[in-house]
Amino acid sequence: MYRGREGQWAFILHRLSGVALALYLLLHVVDISLVMYGPEGPFNAFLAFYHRWPFRIGLVMIMAAVVYHAFNGLRIILMDFTEWGVKYQRSMWYGVLAITLAVGVPVLFKVLPEIWAGI
Amino acid sequence: MAVRPRTLREARSTYSSNAELGWWVFMRISGLVLVFLVLGHVWFNNIQVNVAEVDYAYVAERLSKSWVRVYDTFLLGFAMLHGMNGLRYSIEDYVQRPERRFWWKMALFTVAGVIFVLGAMTLWAFSFDEMGDAVRSLNQE
Repeated sequence: MYRGREGQWAFILHRLSGVALALYLLLHVVDISLVMYGPEGPFNAFLAFYHRWPFRIGLVMIMAAVVYHAFNGLRIILMDFTEWGVKYQRSMWYGVLAITLAVGVPVLFKVLPEIWAGI
Repeated sequence: MAVRPRTLREARSTYSSNAELGWWVFMRISGLVLVFLVLGHVWFNNIQVNVAEVDYAYVAERLSKSWVRVYDTFLLGFAMLHGMNGLRYSIEDYVQRPERRFWWKMALFTVAGVIFVLGAMTLWAFSFDEMGDAVRSLNQE
């Protein structure tokens, strides 16, 4: 196995989070489209199913993927379009991880009690 | 191609076709737009509210506002193009046999096309003004 440094981990996480988000997007458009059946349709029952705790934990991971993919994407843009981006890509990646944690931890404090209350 | 070019000049010399260079540029522009659109979407629907309270009435009330429809249309369009092109990159990278790669991509584009139409119909083919009001008054009774 090729053991690269930070850049390789940045790529692997970007790829994994990207594929997860794209597949979630397809699922999410389909489930929201169920509103077309109207208030008596299957929408509410379907969403109630999605609001069970395993799916809500999944949603927390999707939100983490959003934050990482967004900020690592900005890092990629800086690497591609500035003179200094590649030189500082490693420290920027640690910055991306720090921002993901800084955004993610308060979200956990907001969302975990909601999930706990719903069990 | 697992290694993608790192600068615009490299990208110009790497990609043989203008289309592939166009997608390379598009991923960066749409990515920048999506940072704001997606984080805004998550902020409104996951942080401002408890997701467990999202139901038909919530969605109908949201979709009855025209700014939400316009916002969600940009979100749907950019996210689908960015996401499906990202999945296409993954297929190009990991599916090695050319004929399998072709069929994976055809399956992806078909599914994505159908789901995009479904999303566009949800946003524009229904009048949730009335449905939103009806459900809201039901809830108040």
